[in-house]
Amino acid sequence: MFNIERNGEEHRKLSYKDNKCVGCGICTDVCPTSSLRLGPIVPIARGLIEMDLVSVNQDSCVFCGLCSVACPFDALSLSINGESIKNNKNYPFWETESEVNDEECMYCGKCHEVCPRDSILFERHLPNPADLVRGEIEINKDKCIYCSFCADMCPAGAITIKNIPTSTVDMLNNSIEVDLSKCIFCGVCKRVCPENAIKQICSTCMLREEIEVPEITGETIILEDSCVNCSWCSEICPVDAITVTKPFSGKLELIEEEEKVCKGDSCHACQDVCPCNAVSIVDGKSVTNLDFCNLCGACVTACPQDIRILTRTDMKLNNINSESWSEILNTLVGK
Amino acid sequence: MAVNIDSDKCGHIQDCPVQGLCIKLCEQGAIIEENGDVSIVPENCDDCDLCIQNCPNQAISKA
Repeated sequence: MFNIERNGEEHRKLSYKDNKCVGCGICTDVCPTSSLRLGPIVPIARGLIEMDLVSVNQDSCVFCGLCSVACPFDALSLSINGESIKNNKNYPFWETESEVNDEECMYCGKCHEVCPRDSILFERHLPNPADLVRGEIEINKDKCIYCSFCADMCPAGAITIKNIPTSTVDMLNNSIEVDLSKCIFCGVCKRVCPENAIKQICSTCMLREEIEVPEITGETIILEDSCVNCSWCSEICPVDAITVTKPFSGKLELIEEEEKVCKGDSCHACQDVCPCNAVSIVDGKSVTNLDFCNLCGACVTACPQDIRILTRTDMKLNNINSESWSEILNTLVGK
Repeated sequence: MAVNIDSDKCGHIQDCPVQGLCIKLCEQGAIIEENGDVSIVPENCDDCDLCIQNCPNQAISKA
Protein backbone atom coordinates (compact mmCIF):
# COMPACT_ATOMS: atom_id res chain seq x y z
CA MET A 1 0.00 0.00 0.00
CA PHE A 2 1.23 3.48 -0.75
CA ASN A 3 -0.12 6.99 -0.72
CA ILE A 4 1.79 9.76 -2.44
CA GLU A 5 0.65 13.32 -2.82
CA ARG A 6 1.63 16.65 -4.29
CA ASN A 7 0.42 20.15 -3.67
CA GLY A 8 0.11 22.76 -6.36
CA GLU A 9 -2.87 24.57 -7.71
CA GLU A 10 -4.62 21.36 -6.83
CA HIS A 11 -3.89 18.76 -4.20
CA ARG A 12 -3.39 15.43 -5.94
CA LYS A 13 -3.02 12.14 -4.17
CA LEU A 14 -2.38 8.67 -5.60
CA SER A 15 -3.34 5.73 -3.40
CA TYR A 16 -2.50 2.10 -4.01
CA LYS A 17 -4.15 -0.78 -2.22
CA ASP A 18 -2.16 -3.98 -2.49
CA ASN A 19 -5.08 -6.15 -1.36
CA LYS A 20 -7.01 -5.18 -4.50
CA CYS A 21 -4.03 -5.52 -6.84
CA VAL A 22 -3.70 -8.73 -8.87
CA GLY A 23 -0.27 -7.96 -10.30
CA CYS A 24 -1.49 -7.68 -13.89
CA GLY A 25 0.84 -4.80 -14.76
CA ILE A 26 -1.78 -2.78 -16.65
CA CYS A 27 -0.84 0.31 -14.61
CA THR A 28 2.83 -0.02 -15.45
CA ASP A 29 1.91 -0.47 -19.12
CA VAL A 30 -0.01 2.80 -19.28
CA CYS A 31 2.14 4.99 -17.01
CA PRO A 32 3.50 7.72 -19.30
CA THR A 33 6.48 8.44 -17.05
CA SER A 34 7.42 4.84 -16.21
CA SER A 35 6.98 5.66 -12.56
CA LEU A 36 5.24 2.45 -11.59
CA ARG A 37 7.09 -0.80 -11.25
CA LEU A 38 5.71 -4.29 -11.06
CA GLY A 39 7.44 -6.38 -8.41
CA PRO A 40 8.38 -10.08 -8.55
CA ILE A 41 4.83 -11.40 -8.88
CA VAL A 42 5.65 -15.11 -8.82
CA PRO A 43 7.69 -15.09 -5.58
CA ILE A 44 5.08 -12.80 -4.05
CA ALA A 45 2.22 -15.10 -5.13
CA ARG A 46 4.07 -18.05 -3.61
CA GLY A 47 4.57 -16.20 -0.35
CA LEU A 48 8.37 -16.22 -0.68
CA ILE A 49 8.62 -12.44 -0.64
CA GLU A 50 6.38 -10.11 1.28
CA MET A 51 6.04 -6.85 -0.55
CA ASP A 52 3.55 -4.85 -2.58
CA LEU A 53 3.01 -6.04 -6.14
CA VAL A 54 3.41 -2.50 -7.45
CA SER A 55 5.75 0.26 -6.31
CA VAL A 56 5.98 3.90 -7.37
CA ASN A 57 8.76 6.40 -7.95
CA GLN A 58 7.17 9.43 -6.39
CA ASP A 59 9.79 11.77 -7.81
CA SER A 60 8.83 11.01 -11.40
CA CYS A 61 5.07 10.45 -10.97
CA VAL A 62 3.13 13.34 -12.48
CA PHE A 63 -0.17 12.41 -10.77
CA CYS A 64 -1.97 12.28 -14.11
CA GLY A 65 -4.29 9.47 -12.99
CA LEU A 66 -3.96 7.24 -16.04
CA CYS A 67 -3.04 4.27 -13.85
CA SER A 68 -6.02 4.97 -11.65
CA VAL A 69 -8.53 4.81 -14.49
CA ALA A 70 -6.78 1.93 -16.29
CA CYS A 71 -6.76 -0.39 -13.27
CA PRO A 72 -9.80 -2.67 -13.72
CA PHE A 73 -9.53 -3.74 -10.08
CA ASP A 74 -9.60 -0.37 -8.40
CA ALA A 75 -6.20 -0.91 -6.78
CA LEU A 76 -5.05 2.57 -7.74
CA SER A 77 -6.98 5.71 -7.13
CA LEU A 78 -6.11 9.32 -7.88
CA SER A 79 -7.94 12.03 -6.03
CA ILE A 80 -7.92 15.71 -6.85
CA ASN A 81 -8.68 18.02 -3.95
CA GLY A 82 -10.00 15.08 -1.99
CA GLU A 83 -12.36 13.80 -4.71
CA SER A 84 -11.56 10.52 -6.48
CA ILE A 85 -11.45 10.98 -10.24
CA LYS A 86 -13.54 7.80 -10.43
CA ASN A 87 -16.46 9.92 -9.28
CA ASN A 88 -15.73 12.64 -11.81
CA LYS A 89 -17.89 12.37 -14.92
CA ASN A 90 -15.12 13.75 -17.12
CA TYR A 91 -12.90 10.75 -16.46
CA PRO A 92 -13.14 7.26 -17.94
CA PHE A 93 -14.77 4.50 -15.91
CA TRP A 94 -15.04 0.73 -16.04
CA GLU A 95 -18.44 -0.76 -16.78
CA THR A 96 -17.53 -4.06 -15.19
CA GLU A 97 -19.82 -5.71 -12.71
CA SER A 98 -20.77 -8.91 -10.98
CA GLU A 99 -24.38 -8.83 -9.84
CA VAL A 100 -26.67 -11.29 -8.15
CA ASN A 101 -30.33 -11.17 -9.06
CA ASP A 102 -32.04 -11.75 -5.71
CA GLU A 103 -35.28 -12.77 -7.43
CA GLU A 104 -33.58 -15.63 -9.24
CA CYS A 105 -31.07 -16.78 -6.61
CA MET A 106 -31.98 -20.15 -5.06
CA TYR A 107 -29.34 -19.87 -2.32
CA CYS A 108 -27.49 -23.02 -3.26
CA GLY A 109 -24.17 -21.45 -2.29
CA LYS A 110 -22.15 -22.87 -5.17
CA CYS A 111 -20.89 -19.42 -6.16
CA HIS A 112 -19.62 -18.87 -2.63
CA GLU A 113 -17.70 -22.15 -2.78
CA VAL A 114 -16.00 -21.55 -6.12
CA CYS A 115 -15.17 -17.84 -5.87
CA PRO A 116 -11.37 -17.66 -6.12
CA ARG A 117 -11.31 -14.32 -4.28
CA ASP A 118 -13.59 -15.28 -1.39
CA SER A 119 -15.68 -12.35 -2.54
CA ILE A 120 -19.11 -13.86 -2.08
CA LEU A 121 -20.91 -13.69 1.22
CA PHE A 122 -23.62 -16.27 1.47
CA GLU A 123 -26.10 -17.39 4.05
CA ARG A 124 -29.39 -19.23 3.89
CA HIS A 125 -32.11 -20.23 6.26
CA LEU A 126 -33.34 -23.79 5.81
CA PRO A 127 -36.58 -24.99 7.36
CA ASN A 128 -36.61 -27.39 10.26
CA PRO A 129 -37.06 -30.94 8.84
CA ALA A 130 -39.60 -31.62 11.60
CA ASP A 131 -41.87 -28.97 10.09
CA LEU A 132 -42.01 -30.90 6.83
CA VAL A 133 -43.08 -34.26 8.24
CA ARG A 134 -45.93 -35.60 10.33
CA GLY A 135 -46.07 -38.73 12.44
CA GLU A 136 -45.80 -40.31 15.81
CA ILE A 137 -43.22 -42.36 17.61
CA GLU A 138 -43.35 -44.09 20.97
CA ILE A 139 -40.87 -46.31 22.76
CA ASN A 140 -42.07 -48.83 25.28
CA LYS A 141 -39.46 -48.55 28.01
CA ASP A 142 -40.59 -51.76 29.66
CA LYS A 143 -39.81 -53.72 26.54
CA CYS A 144 -36.64 -51.80 25.56
CA ILE A 145 -33.36 -53.56 26.40
CA TYR A 146 -31.22 -50.51 25.48
CA CYS A 147 -29.28 -52.44 22.85
CA SER A 148 -28.75 -49.22 20.90
CA PHE A 149 -29.54 -50.72 17.48
CA CYS A 150 -32.10 -47.99 16.84
CA ALA A 151 -29.85 -45.12 17.92
CA ASP A 152 -26.94 -46.39 15.85
CA MET A 153 -29.10 -46.80 12.76
CA CYS A 154 -31.31 -43.73 13.01
CA PRO A 155 -30.46 -41.74 9.82
CA ALA A 156 -31.52 -38.51 11.49
CA GLY A 157 -29.49 -39.06 14.66
CA ALA A 158 -32.67 -38.45 16.64
CA ILE A 159 -32.29 -41.19 19.27
CA THR A 160 -30.09 -40.83 22.34
CA ILE A 161 -29.44 -43.86 24.51
CA LYS A 162 -27.60 -44.18 27.78
CA ASN A 163 -26.94 -47.81 28.54
CA ILE A 164 -23.57 -48.00 30.31
CA PRO A 165 -23.43 -48.05 34.13
CA THR A 166 -21.76 -45.02 35.63
CA SER A 167 -20.76 -46.89 38.80
CA THR A 168 -21.13 -50.24 40.58
CA VAL A 169 -24.08 -48.92 42.57
CA ASP A 170 -25.86 -47.71 39.47
CA MET A 171 -26.01 -50.75 37.19
CA LEU A 172 -29.32 -49.78 35.62
CA ASN A 173 -28.51 -46.29 34.39
CA ASN A 174 -30.58 -46.69 31.24
CA SER A 175 -32.43 -44.06 29.28
CA ILE A 176 -33.72 -43.62 25.74
CA GLU A 177 -34.96 -40.36 24.22
CA VAL A 178 -36.24 -39.41 20.79
CA ASP A 179 -35.56 -35.86 19.67
CA LEU A 180 -38.78 -34.93 17.87
CA SER A 181 -37.13 -31.96 16.18
CA LYS A 182 -34.95 -34.47 14.30
CA CYS A 183 -37.19 -37.56 13.90
CA ILE A 184 -38.62 -37.94 10.39
CA PHE A 185 -40.77 -40.97 11.23
CA CYS A 186 -38.96 -43.17 8.73
CA GLY A 187 -39.43 -46.30 10.81
CA VAL A 188 -35.89 -47.69 10.62
CA CYS A 189 -35.81 -47.88 14.45
CA LYS A 190 -39.00 -49.87 14.56
CA ARG A 191 -37.77 -52.33 11.96
CA VAL A 192 -34.40 -52.86 13.62
CA CYS A 193 -35.74 -53.19 17.19
CA PRO A 194 -35.26 -56.82 18.33
CA GLU A 195 -37.82 -56.41 21.13
CA ASN A 196 -40.64 -54.82 19.15
CA ALA A 197 -40.52 -51.93 21.63
CA ILE A 198 -41.04 -49.10 19.16
CA LYS A 199 -44.30 -47.88 17.68
CA GLN A 200 -44.04 -45.50 14.78
CA ILE A 201 -46.52 -44.03 12.35
CA CYS A 202 -45.68 -41.78 9.42
CA SER A 203 -48.57 -39.66 8.25
CA THR A 204 -46.56 -37.26 6.10
CA CYS A 205 -48.06 -38.45 2.82
CA MET A 206 -51.54 -38.59 4.18
CA LEU A 207 -51.32 -35.05 5.56
CA ARG A 208 -49.23 -33.60 2.72
CA GLU A 209 -51.89 -31.04 1.87
CA GLU A 210 -51.58 -29.38 5.24
CA ILE A 211 -47.79 -29.24 5.24
CA GLU A 212 -46.68 -25.84 4.04
CA VAL A 213 -44.27 -25.65 1.16
CA PRO A 214 -41.08 -24.33 2.77
CA GLU A 215 -39.68 -21.02 1.71
CA ILE A 216 -35.91 -20.99 1.67
CA THR A 217 -34.57 -17.52 2.25
CA GLY A 218 -31.07 -16.18 2.30
CA GLU A 219 -28.63 -13.66 1.02
CA THR A 220 -25.87 -13.79 -1.58
CA ILE A 221 -23.65 -10.74 -1.77
CA ILE A 222 -20.72 -10.15 -4.10
CA LEU A 223 -18.10 -7.91 -2.53
CA GLU A 224 -17.14 -5.41 -5.20
CA ASP A 225 -13.92 -4.61 -3.37
CA SER A 226 -12.24 -7.92 -3.97
CA CYS A 227 -14.19 -9.30 -6.97
CA VAL A 228 -12.13 -9.52 -10.17
CA ASN A 229 -15.07 -10.34 -12.48
CA CYS A 230 -13.75 -13.78 -13.38
CA SER A 231 -17.22 -15.32 -13.96
CA TRP A 232 -16.77 -18.42 -11.82
CA CYS A 233 -19.98 -17.50 -9.99
CA SER A 234 -22.08 -16.87 -13.08
CA GLU A 235 -20.75 -19.98 -14.84
CA ILE A 236 -21.52 -22.25 -11.87
CA CYS A 237 -24.91 -20.74 -11.01
CA PRO A 238 -27.57 -23.35 -11.85
CA VAL A 239 -30.33 -20.76 -12.27
CA ASP A 240 -28.43 -18.02 -14.13
CA ALA A 241 -28.93 -15.57 -11.29
CA ILE A 242 -25.54 -13.89 -11.65
CA THR A 243 -24.48 -11.49 -14.37
CA VAL A 244 -20.80 -10.73 -14.85
CA THR A 245 -19.38 -8.13 -17.17
CA LYS A 246 -15.68 -8.76 -17.60
CA PRO A 247 -13.21 -5.94 -18.18
CA PHE A 248 -11.89 -7.29 -21.46
CA SER A 249 -12.88 -9.51 -24.34
CA GLY A 250 -10.32 -11.36 -26.36
CA LYS A 251 -8.26 -14.49 -26.04
CA LEU A 252 -5.21 -15.95 -24.37
CA GLU A 253 -3.22 -18.60 -26.15
CA LEU A 254 -0.24 -20.75 -25.36
CA ILE A 255 2.00 -20.67 -28.39
CA GLU A 256 5.04 -22.89 -28.07
CA GLU A 257 8.12 -22.70 -30.23
CA GLU A 258 11.10 -24.98 -30.66
CA GLU A 259 13.09 -23.43 -27.82
CA LYS A 260 10.16 -22.17 -25.78
CA VAL A 261 8.02 -24.87 -24.28
CA CYS A 262 5.59 -24.88 -21.37
CA LYS A 263 7.18 -26.79 -18.47
CA GLY A 264 3.88 -27.35 -16.74
CA ASP A 265 4.26 -28.84 -13.28
CA SER A 266 7.91 -27.77 -12.90
CA CYS A 267 7.01 -24.11 -13.26
CA HIS A 268 3.25 -23.42 -12.83
CA ALA A 269 4.00 -19.69 -12.44
CA CYS A 270 0.87 -18.86 -14.47
CA GLN A 271 -1.33 -20.86 -12.15
CA ASP A 272 0.16 -19.23 -9.06
CA VAL A 273 -0.39 -15.65 -10.17
CA CYS A 274 -3.82 -16.10 -11.78
CA PRO A 275 -6.35 -14.18 -9.66
CA CYS A 276 -9.20 -16.05 -11.36
CA ASN A 277 -8.23 -19.65 -10.73
CA ALA A 278 -8.55 -20.07 -14.49
CA VAL A 279 -5.31 -21.98 -15.05
CA SER A 280 -4.73 -25.69 -14.58
CA ILE A 281 -1.77 -27.86 -15.45
CA VAL A 282 -3.15 -30.70 -17.58
CA ASP A 283 -0.82 -33.45 -18.83
CA GLY A 284 2.20 -31.28 -18.08
CA LYS A 285 0.94 -28.18 -19.88
CA SER A 286 -0.73 -25.01 -18.76
CA VAL A 287 -4.37 -24.88 -19.79
CA THR A 288 -6.40 -21.71 -19.34
CA ASN A 289 -10.16 -21.86 -19.24
CA LEU A 290 -11.19 -18.59 -20.87
CA ASP A 291 -14.65 -18.82 -19.31
CA PHE A 292 -13.03 -17.92 -16.00
CA CYS A 293 -10.19 -15.71 -17.29
CA ASN A 294 -10.56 -11.94 -17.07
CA LEU A 295 -7.65 -11.38 -19.47
CA CYS A 296 -5.73 -9.36 -16.89
CA GLY A 297 -2.43 -10.63 -18.21
CA ALA A 298 -0.68 -11.45 -14.92
CA CYS A 299 0.20 -14.92 -16.21
CA VAL A 300 1.75 -13.43 -19.34
CA THR A 301 4.22 -11.48 -17.19
CA ALA A 302 4.82 -14.48 -14.93
CA CYS A 303 5.61 -16.98 -17.68
CA PRO A 304 9.40 -17.37 -17.88
CA GLN A 305 9.08 -18.94 -21.32
CA ASP A 306 7.18 -15.94 -22.68
CA ILE A 307 4.79 -18.17 -24.60
CA ARG A 308 1.46 -16.82 -23.39
CA ILE A 309 -0.05 -14.59 -26.02
CA LEU A 310 -2.80 -12.28 -24.84
CA THR A 311 -4.98 -10.65 -27.47
CA ARG A 312 -7.51 -8.23 -26.07
CA THR A 313 -10.02 -7.02 -28.63
CA ASP A 314 -12.28 -4.83 -26.54
CA MET A 315 -12.59 -3.36 -23.07
CA LYS A 316 -15.34 -2.01 -20.87
CA LEU A 317 -13.47 1.20 -20.10
CA ASN A 318 -15.76 3.92 -21.30
CA ASN A 319 -15.98 7.69 -21.42
CA ILE A 320 -12.41 8.25 -22.62
CA ASN A 321 -12.65 11.88 -23.65
CA SER A 322 -9.05 12.92 -24.10
CA GLU A 323 -7.32 12.03 -27.36
CA SER A 324 -3.95 11.42 -25.73
CA TRP A 325 -5.47 9.24 -23.03
CA SER A 326 -7.45 7.36 -25.63
CA GLU A 327 -4.23 6.65 -27.50
CA ILE A 328 -2.50 5.27 -24.41
CA LEU A 329 -5.48 3.37 -22.98
CA ASN A 330 -6.31 1.78 -26.30
CA THR A 331 -2.89 0.13 -26.35
CA LEU A 332 -4.41 -2.22 -23.77
CA VAL A 333 -6.64 -3.62 -26.47
CA GLY A 334 -4.03 -3.49 -29.19
CA LYS A 335 -5.44 -0.43 -30.86
CA MET B 1 21.09 -27.74 -20.57
CA ALA B 2 20.63 -26.41 -17.04
CA VAL B 3 21.66 -22.94 -15.95
CA ASN B 4 24.78 -21.04 -14.95
CA ILE B 5 25.10 -18.83 -11.91
CA ASP B 6 27.39 -15.82 -12.21
CA SER B 7 29.31 -16.01 -8.97
CA ASP B 8 30.13 -12.29 -9.00
CA LYS B 9 26.48 -11.26 -9.25
CA CYS B 10 25.00 -13.97 -7.01
CA GLY B 11 24.16 -13.04 -3.43
CA HIS B 12 25.25 -16.49 -2.26
CA ILE B 13 22.23 -16.99 0.01
CA GLN B 14 23.65 -14.76 2.73
CA ASP B 15 23.49 -11.57 0.66
CA CYS B 16 20.51 -12.60 -1.48
CA PRO B 17 17.51 -10.35 -0.71
CA VAL B 18 15.44 -13.49 -0.21
CA GLN B 19 18.19 -15.78 1.15
CA GLY B 20 18.32 -18.02 -1.89
CA LEU B 21 15.16 -17.22 -3.87
CA CYS B 22 16.19 -19.54 -6.71
CA ILE B 23 16.46 -22.47 -4.29
CA LYS B 24 13.00 -21.74 -2.95
CA LEU B 25 11.48 -21.28 -6.42
CA CYS B 26 12.92 -24.41 -8.01
CA GLU B 27 10.63 -27.32 -7.25
CA GLN B 28 12.77 -29.73 -9.26
CA GLY B 29 15.62 -29.69 -6.76
CA ALA B 30 17.92 -28.41 -9.49
CA ILE B 31 19.18 -25.56 -7.33
CA ILE B 32 20.11 -26.55 -3.81
CA GLU B 33 21.96 -25.23 -0.82
CA GLU B 34 25.33 -26.85 -0.36
CA ASN B 35 27.86 -25.74 2.24
CA GLY B 36 26.00 -22.47 2.72
CA ASP B 37 26.11 -21.60 -0.97
CA VAL B 38 23.93 -22.10 -4.04
CA SER B 39 24.66 -25.22 -6.01
CA ILE B 40 23.23 -26.52 -9.29
CA VAL B 41 22.16 -30.10 -9.91
CA PRO B 42 22.06 -30.07 -13.75
CA GLU B 43 20.35 -33.44 -14.14
CA ASN B 44 17.32 -32.15 -12.22
CA CYS B 45 16.93 -28.97 -14.26
CA ASP B 46 13.86 -28.85 -16.47
CA ASP B 47 14.83 -25.58 -18.19
CA CYS B 48 11.71 -23.84 -17.00
CA ASP B 49 13.75 -20.61 -16.55
CA LEU B 50 11.78 -19.57 -13.50
CA CYS B 51 15.05 -18.95 -11.61
CA ILE B 52 16.48 -16.90 -14.49
CA GLN B 53 13.41 -14.71 -14.62
CA ASN B 54 13.16 -14.12 -10.89
CA CYS B 55 16.76 -13.83 -9.63
CA PRO B 56 16.89 -10.42 -7.95
CA ASN B 57 20.55 -10.07 -8.95
CA GLN B 58 20.13 -11.26 -12.56
CA ALA B 59 22.87 -13.74 -11.79
CA ILE B 60 21.36 -16.76 -13.54
CA SER B 61 21.53 -17.48 -17.26
CA LYS B 62 21.09 -20.41 -19.58
CA ALA B 63 24.09 -22.75 -19.68
